[in-house]
Amino acid sequence: MIRCHLFNGEFTNQEFEDFTPIIESITINRRVVQEMPLAVIIGLLAKLGKKLIHNPEINRLQGATYISVWLRRKNLEQVCKTNYADCRYLDTFIPVNNNFAMSAQPRGVVCQWIAANIPTLAFFSLAQAILSKNGSIAKVPEESSAFIAALLKDLSDITLSHDGTTYFGKDIVKAISLVSFEGKNHEISKQFSLAADCKVIYGGSVAIHSILALPQKEHCETVVFGPKYSFGVFDRGYIESDQFEKALENSANDIAIFNQMACSSPHVLFFEKSKYTLEKIGILMKGYFEQLPPVLRHQNTDPAILANVINERAKYLLSDNKDIIIPNDLGWTIFMDRSIQLEDPIHGKCIFIKEIESINDVFDLITRKIQAIMVCIHDEDKRRIFAREATYRGVDRVVIPGTIHEYDQPWDGILPLNRLVRWVILKTES
Amino acid sequence: MSNPEHDLNDLLQLPPYSLADDERNKNLLQIIKKQLPAAIKNNHYIANLFSKLRISPEKIGCLEDVPPLPVQMFKYFDLKTCPEDQVVKVLRSSGTTTGTTSRVPLSKYTTINQIKALKSILKDYLGDKRRIFLVIDHEGINDPKREFSARTAGVRGLSIYAKKTFYLMREENGKLVLNLPVIKELLSQHQDEDVYVFGFTYIIWSTFYKQVQENNLRLNFKDVKIFHSGGWKKLKGEQVSKDHFSNEIARIFGTGQENVLDFYGMAEQTGIIFVDCEYGHKHVPNFAQVIIRDPYTLKPCDHNEVGMIEILNSLSDSYYSQAILTEDMGFMVGVDDCPCGRKGRYFRFQSRIEKVEIRGCGDTFRE
Repeated sequence: MIRCHLFNGEFTNQEFEDFTPIIESITINRRVVQEMPLAVIIGLLAKLGKKLIHNPEINRLQGATYISVWLRRKNLEQVCKTNYADCRYLDTFIPVNNNFAMSAQPRGVVCQWIAANIPTLAFFSLAQAILSKNGSIAKVPEESSAFIAALLKDLSDITLSHDGTTYFGKDIVKAISLVSFEGKNHEISKQFSLAADCKVIYGGSVAIHSILALPQKEHCETVVFGPKYSFGVFDRGYIESDQFEKALENSANDIAIFNQMACSSPHVLFFEKSKYTLEKIGILMKGYFEQLPPVLRHQNTDPAILANVINERAKYLLSDNKDIIIPNDLGWTIFMDRSIQLEDPIHGKCIFIKEIESINDVFDLITRKIQAIMVCIHDEDKRRIFAREATYRGVDRVVIPGTIHEYDQPWDGILPLNRLVRWVILKTES
Repeated sequence: MSNPEHDLNDLLQLPPYSLADDERNKNLLQIIKKQLPAAIKNNHYIANLFSKLRISPEKIGCLEDVPPLPVQMFKYFDLKTCPEDQVVKVLRSSGTTTGTTSRVPLSKYTTINQIKALKSILKDYLGDKRRIFLVIDHEGINDPKREFSARTAGVRGLSIYAKKTFYLMREENGKLVLNLPVIKELLSQHQDEDVYVFGFTYIIWSTFYKQVQENNLRLNFKDVKIFHSGGWKKLKGEQVSKDHFSNEIARIFGTGQENVLDFYGMAEQTGIIFVDCEYGHKHVPNFAQVIIRDPYTLKPCDHNEVGMIEILNSLSDSYYSQAILTEDMGFMVGVDDCPCGRKGRYFRFQSRIEKVEIRGCGDTFRE
C-alpha cells in the first residue's frame, strides 16, 4: 500500500495500490515547470525562503533557518551556475560554436528515497529536482512528511510576475508527489524504481545496496548519496593562534547540529602536538559544549544510542591510557587518547580527540568513505597542499569549523543538478 | 556490623523479602562500601573507574552513588575482584545479539552466596520441600561442554531445588520435539507429586505448547509452579500477550494463572532472580537492590517512569557485581506496599533496548 501525502497539488492522505495514477499526474504536470524560465523558479523559491521563517509549523524545526538562507536568490543562482556553468541552458539552446548549440532538459520523473537522519533532507532533495525542472516522487520518512508538506503548502500560495506573466508556486507543487511505503515491500519498491527516469538515493549501506539491486528503466540515471564519515584536523600553528578557541567553539556546534547523525558530522578531532596538552584542549571543548543553546545541548536521543554512549564511556573509564570528560548527563562526551585511528561513530555528541605528531599522520586514514574534513591550518599554501592530497585520497570537502554542514555544491563529489538533466545538442548547417 | 561477610550471612538467613526498603538500603550500602576497596585493590580497571570518576568508596553516601558498570563490560574487560587463586570457575555467557562472550569469574565464596540466595528466593515461591523439576528444554542444554547461555543459566540455577529432573523436550535433527517417553513416565508415576517447571518463554510457546496441543496432552500434578524467562520480544511478534500466555500454559498444567511465574535475571547476576508475584510485580530480595535510571540524565526515575534497570548485588567478592547497569528497560511500581506482602521495591520489566538502527548518510563506520 502506498500512502500519498501530496497528489496533483492537493495535500491528502490517499492510499494507492500502485504508482500509475501518481506517475500520470506528475508526467502531465511537470510540463508546466519545464516551460517556466529558470529565473522564475529561482524567484518563487526565494520568495518561499523569506516566507517560511514566519511559519511556526516550519521555523521550529532544526535547520529551517538554514533553508531560508539557502533559498536566497543569490545562493540559488550560484548553485545553478556551479552546476550548469550557464543558467540559460535550462531555458533554451545556447550556441557553443557557429553550428553547435547545447541545452539542458529535465530527465523526467525523479524518484527520491529520502533518509530519516536529517529532517531537512527531503527539502534539499526536492529543491534540486525543481531547479532542474523535473517532476518528483519522493519517498519521505513519516517523521519528516508533515514538515515538508508544510513547506510545499507555503510554496503553493506564492505567485510571481515576470515579463508580464504571472507564475504560480502551485504549478511547481503539482509536479511533486510525497509518498510513504514499507521499504521492505519488494513489489512496491520495484514499481517505484521502475517509475524513475532518475533515481536519487540517500541512505546507509544496506538501503543503498537493496535499492540499487531493484530493476530500473535502461535510461535511468542513478545518483547515490551513501554513507560517509567526517572528522577534523588542527596543526600546531593554528592551535597556538588566537583563532583556536573560536574554532573549537564552532567545532562544538558542528558536533551538536543534527546530534551527529549526518554524514558531515565530525566524530574525531586530531590535534598536532603543541603547547596545549590534550587534556587542556578537552577542558576548553567542555566549556563550549556547556555553552550550547538548550536546543542543541539536550536533544532527543534514541535509548539505544544512549546505551552505546554509556558503554563507550565505561570502556574509557576502565581503560589504562585513555581519559574522558563528561557532564552529569549524556548530553555530550569527550573521549581522549593518542591512537591514530578513526572511531566508530557513537552519535549523541560524542567526540574523540587525539594528539598526533603531524597533521600528515591522518592521510593514511582517508578513504572514499570520508566526506568532509575540517582543516585548521593557517598557512594557505600548506592548507592547499594538504587539501590536494586529502581530496586525492578520497575526501570530498575540505572545510573550516562552523561550515561543515553547509549544503555546498558539489556534495559528496557530485554536482547533483548537473546529473538531473540531460545535455542535448542542436546542430545547424554552417 | 564490622565484618561484611557476617552482614551478608545475616541477610541470607532472613526471609528474602522481609526487610523494608530503607533498612535494606542501609545494610547493603554498608556491605558494598566494604567490598569496594578490595575490588579496587585487586582490579586496576576498577581502580581506573573510581579514580577517573573521583569517587572514594568510604565517601559514598547512598546506593545511587555506587558507580554502575554497563553489563557489556564483562565482554571487554577482566572484572575479577579477588586474587587469581581464589577463582574456582569462570562463567562464560554467550551474548544473544553480538555473539561476544561475557566472562564472570566466580570464587567459592561467591558461588556459595549465589546458591544460598537462589535457594532463599525459590523457597519463598516453592515452600520448604524440594520438588521434581521439569525442564522445558533438551538435556544437552545443561551439557558443560556446550556454551553457557541464558537457557543454561536458568536450568542450572533453578535445578538447586530439584529432587529429580526431567527434560520434557529432546533434540531431533536440530529441532526441539516433545520427549514423549519421559512425559509418559512422569504422568504415570509422579502425577500426585509437587513439581516445578522451567522453560525459556519463547520455547515454551513456540514449540512445547504447540506440540502439547497437537498431541492433546494435559500435564496435571498435585501442585505446580511454572517459571519462565526471556524471549518476550519474539512473542510480541506473534502478538501473544503475557496474560494469554499465562492462561494457556496454566491450562495445560491444570493450574491457575497465578502459578505461571515470569522472572528476570542474567548470568552476570547469578543467584538473584526477580520473580513475578501473583500481582505481576518483580520483587527485589534483601541482598540486592534495583534502581531504574533515566537513560539520559542517569538519575533515578520516579515510579512508573520507564528507564534502564540497574541491579546492585552484594553476593560477590570475585567480580564487580556491586552495581551493574543492564540494557533492559523497566519501571518501578512501588516500595514496601505490594498487596502480596513482600517488602522492598517492586518493578516491571518492559523491554530490552533494541540495537540502534542509524538510517541515512550518517550510517557509517571507520575503515
